[in-house]
Amino acid sequence: MSETAATLALMAPPEAVTAPAYTAEELARYDGIVERYTRHVYNIAYRMAGNEADARDLSQEAFLRVYRALRRVEPGAPLESWLYRIVSNLYIDLLRRRPKARLESLDAPLDTPRGEMVREFPDIAANPEAVFEREHIDGAIQQALGVLSPELRMVVVLSDIEGFAYEEIAAILRVPLGTVKSRLHRARQVLQQRLRPYVEARRGGWQR
Amino acid sequence: MNHHRAGRLLSAYVDSELTAAETRAVQEHLLDCADCRNAYENLRAMRELLAGLPPAEPPAEFWAGIRGPVLRARAAAAGAPEEGLRAAWAFARERLRSWVVVRRPGWALAAVLVVLALAALPLVKGTVDRLHATEIGVDLYVHDHALQMGSTPLVDRAYVGLVAGDAELVIAGETPRPAGDAAR
Repeated sequence: MSETAATLALMAPPEAVTAPAYTAEELARYDGIVERYTRHVYNIAYRMAGNEADARDLSQEAFLRVYRALRRVEPGAPLESWLYRIVSNLYIDLLRRRPKARLESLDAPLDTPRGEMVREFPDIAANPEAVFEREHIDGAIQQALGVLSPELRMVVVLSDIEGFAYEEIAAILRVPLGTVKSRLHRARQVLQQRLRPYVEARRGGWQR
Repeated sequence: MNHHRAGRLLSAYVDSELTAAETRAVQEHLLDCADCRNAYENLRAMRELLAGLPPAEPPAEFWAGIRGPVLRARAAAAGAPEEGLRAAWAFARERLRSWVVVRRPGWALAAVLVVLALAALPLVKGTVDRLHATEIGVDLYVHDHALQMGSTPLVDRAYVGLVAGDAELVIAGETPRPAGDAAR
């Protein structure tokens, strides 16, 4: 894939590009982009970051970059890939800026006065029916996603949540197709382990 | 196809992302291998769980933030400064909100008021003290001069008492009189 000027402009930090005065058509185009992609961008940002405040920040920053580089984005260009890649990169930047404490893996044992402890996931032993409750399932999935490294998480979000094909994911993330496959394979192994009760409940549900 | 390789391909098989030849090979293996069939069903169930996640809805005020630059530009072009200001305000508020998240506005307001009160306290107190000091200062000045004048023989003592404006004032050389006499 060739790097166009527009892509470079989009990837550049915001200080490097200032928004010129746009014509009515150009503004309408930006509106169209917002209309079309905001929900997807926000959803991806939310699933990556796991909270509303960061999801807002990330999506807003992504669209601000589109706005500033609007004139360099050719009409009909595959903006989708750029936008999702920007969100992905912005998220990784965000992680770098955050203090280390926020980065610790949910998998890592916690040091407590009573020795090492592993975090408990939603207690479904106390409430077995919870495995069928949507709210409970959503929380467990988001928590399980948070355990994955950002690279693995992004692949899962694009594939299983946003429904992209492997080739599209490879284009968005600029990685080889084989990398998409192997990341997805690894990510799913971790998720399987984390979500076992829910997966089993779902399978049981089919047989009912 | 051996078990290990089939296991690695299952994830892509679930997504229908294998070549025709790979797909056939995995299908054949699945017929023979109960473990892989189980793993396949698990993968399928999990994919459905993830696909069933409802999309995260952006909050309503988020749209204003994203549209901010356009609304502003449009308003500026149309020569409607209030519209532009409003859009700018919405945009700025949304930007600010991402930095400052006030989870308990009531407590925040109370905290701000306490801080303001603490900051204002010395100011108010200082002003009161200063006013007080000026009052006392004038009194002392008048007293002093009245006393000095009282010691000169040619001055009307009743007048001095009047000027001093203080019934309790004891003019030098006189025995204290009951209140009010100095004015008479």
